[in-house]
Amino acid sequence: MMLAKELEEILGKENVSTRMSELYCYSFDASGVEGLPDFVVRPATTEQVADVVKLADMSNIPVVARGAGSGLCGGAVPVEGGIVLDMCSMDRVLDIDIDNLQITVESGVVHEKLNKALEPYGFFFPPDPGSTAMCTIGGLMANNGSGMRCVKYGTTRNYVLDLEVVMADGRIVHTGSKTLKTASGYDLTDLMVGSEGTLGIITKAVLKVHPLPHSRSVILSSFDNTTLAGKAVVKVLSSGIIPSACEILDSTAIKAVRRFDPSVELPDVGAILMIEVDGMENAVREEAALVGKACEELASAIKVAESGTESENLWKARRLVGAAISKIDVKRTRIYVGEDIGVPIKELPGMLEYVRSLSEEFDIHIMTYGHIGDGNLHTGMAIDMLSEEELESAHAVADRIYRRAISVGGTVSAEHGVGRARAMYMELEHPTSLEVMRQIKRALDPKGILNPGKMGL
Amino acid sequence: MQEDKQRSILKCVRCGTCRSICPVFEELGWESFSTRGRMLLAKGISKGMDVDESMIDSINTCTTCGLCEQMCPAGAKPTDVFEELRRDLVRMGKVKGSQLELYNNTLLTGNPLGEKRSGTSFILEQRDVPKVADYVYFVGCLGSYRFREDALRTYDLIRDVGVTVLSDEVCCGSPLLRTGFDADDLIRHNLEQIEKTGAHTIIASCAGCYNTFKNDYPDRFNVVHITEFLAEHMDELGLGRLDLTVTYHDPCHLGRANRIFDAPRKLIMAVCDLKEMKTNRENARCCGGGGGVRKGYPDLSASIAKKRIMDVPDGVDNIVTCCPLCRVNLEQASDVPVIDLLDLLYIAQKEVLKAV
Repeated sequence: MMLAKELEEILGKENVSTRMSELYCYSFDASGVEGLPDFVVRPATTEQVADVVKLADMSNIPVVARGAGSGLCGGAVPVEGGIVLDMCSMDRVLDIDIDNLQITVESGVVHEKLNKALEPYGFFFPPDPGSTAMCTIGGLMANNGSGMRCVKYGTTRNYVLDLEVVMADGRIVHTGSKTLKTASGYDLTDLMVGSEGTLGIITKAVLKVHPLPHSRSVILSSFDNTTLAGKAVVKVLSSGIIPSACEILDSTAIKAVRRFDPSVELPDVGAILMIEVDGMENAVREEAALVGKACEELASAIKVAESGTESENLWKARRLVGAAISKIDVKRTRIYVGEDIGVPIKELPGMLEYVRSLSEEFDIHIMTYGHIGDGNLHTGMAIDMLSEEELESAHAVADRIYRRAISVGGTVSAEHGVGRARAMYMELEHPTSLEVMRQIKRALDPKGILNPGKMGL
Repeated sequence: MQEDKQRSILKCVRCGTCRSICPVFEELGWESFSTRGRMLLAKGISKGMDVDESMIDSINTCTTCGLCEQMCPAGAKPTDVFEELRRDLVRMGKVKGSQLELYNNTLLTGNPLGEKRSGTSFILEQRDVPKVADYVYFVGCLGSYRFREDALRTYDLIRDVGVTVLSDEVCCGSPLLRTGFDADDLIRHNLEQIEKTGAHTIIASCAGCYNTFKNDYPDRFNVVHITEFLAEHMDELGLGRLDLTVTYHDPCHLGRANRIFDAPRKLIMAVCDLKEMKTNRENARCCGGGGGVRKGYPDLSASIAKKRIMDVPDGVDNIVTCCPLCRVNLEQASDVPVIDLLDLLYIAQKEVLKAV
């Protein structure tokens, strides 16, 4: 209990909790991974984070950074106990510097708030995760999240210019520069992005911002099945157009969208591609026509969303479709396993076919949706959480999906992260480089106090 | 534990959407005070986790506003889960002093305020009320003990269609039901009296009473909210036009819980101009008063009220609502006067009389 006193001295009594209600609530994220912390603390400054990490270093206990806890792989779950740093109090936008095309934020800023702050300037932060309303920029960076617009705009990684990071010994370092590019030294910024809190605690970030497009248009193409839709994606992307979003929804996902928002009009078909193009108005009109043309031979129908409101409602429903599958059957709940693979574009039709065959083999319904434009497929299973058998099947299906993705040169996680849930596949996906990752980890965190038990390290 | 109950807890996929809208979480910031946190605790407790005081606080600080249910992409029904869990906790003897005070007051005096029981006698003494009628005006405890003038005006507005009141009205049971107790005796007592009047319809003017009659009482008669009733009889009310601009606060238990959005607006727009709050209708923010939070956690309740007041648009003369609990809770946080919709209609009626 000495440690509790010291934490209270650093953070103030009101920002340290050992209440069982809190410890229990911070022992989860949105995955199935669990782990009870010993303390939950809410720092308000970088110095407080540094002091907490120094204390953890001296006491040799784990420190786990956590944003909104909306992660899907147990990344912020303290599987070996220790201190959870709830970063949500560090939620200030510190500087909006449009002339330099950048914004400086604390890592607890919620994604949606960042874009609300930028909107009056006519700018935005392009990575667009489904969890925009709750996820923090810190969590997004730690997992290199991305979302729906990365087919054109890239992932979070592409927008981080400089980070303030608390290292494992409590040092505060800056990793980059305020310039839009640099060729100076190791790219520590890039190393920190996607490191899931295992190499340092991100406290501030300088992010590159992008002008909002003048116009956007959404083309909805219907297909008899997901495989045909996958083939159409290959055609669209190879026809020379780079859409700003390219999403697939299979028949179950379509049903889930409708259940979430009955006002969204989607046809009752095997699969839909939602392809968005953005830019100047004339270019958007031309590109939309070209997208339609590329889909023409394979699609059963093609429609362009009539208004800005119609497409905004479509995107809103699309963002939450992953959870909305739980609405289809009152007895079933979405379980997040095998949900975030990425494969090379050309492998998409084969992968979609494989998922369909698994669905038959295991007699389990698998919803397919996701950012198909960058080869990122989300597969969703809704199961009866009280049935051990269904839970086992879901995990078996996920295992097959992961292995298949790796075997075709893909990845077990395109944007949600590895955490604990996918740690066992790291060896398989990175047979030669995992050891290098371990060496980096040992060099930067010799005591292994930063988010231990994650990423197969 | 019943499977259905377990499944309703497991419906939460922990996505955290509710974190962005739970008014209590917004004030307190700790996960255990968010809807998701409470759903997790419900899961833990259902599996036999020891309940300590911090968990009781977590479960009891939900205002039952239902915004989380409105937003939940997975279709969870957190308010139902928490009310059920509160009943479990009460059965386990895990209650707070403020809850017990509410319970004891209501049992002893028939009202949660602990006022000497007088029911509707103030109306019966001042008005010629028939014993038998088609309609019963259920006054509610705040009407009977805090806002008697408003209650009399309400009665006067509707008396012509043949309305009686219960001679020994007791609390509808809402405060007890929302905080985990049963209200069988209160419900039985009110039902017996309603049957004696021969009425086919109950008219409730409080959102909490309306919600309770509608959803917790046996389905033996029609239940209407006063605004629905008046909106249907608007032409008979003799309403004048007022030179006022007001905004309207949707009470959670009237709006989101029972989908009554249009009737109050129709009445307001008949007598003056309406400017909507920043969040309204099914997305309206909570006043912070419900679910036993005003009684048990007054500071929290007041800070949620302050946030709600920030939704009030510029340039309005009044905040109008039609729930006395919302009214008192918002009043403490607002510079703009908060009035009941019935007050507004009363003034509009007077305006016509003045003109004559």
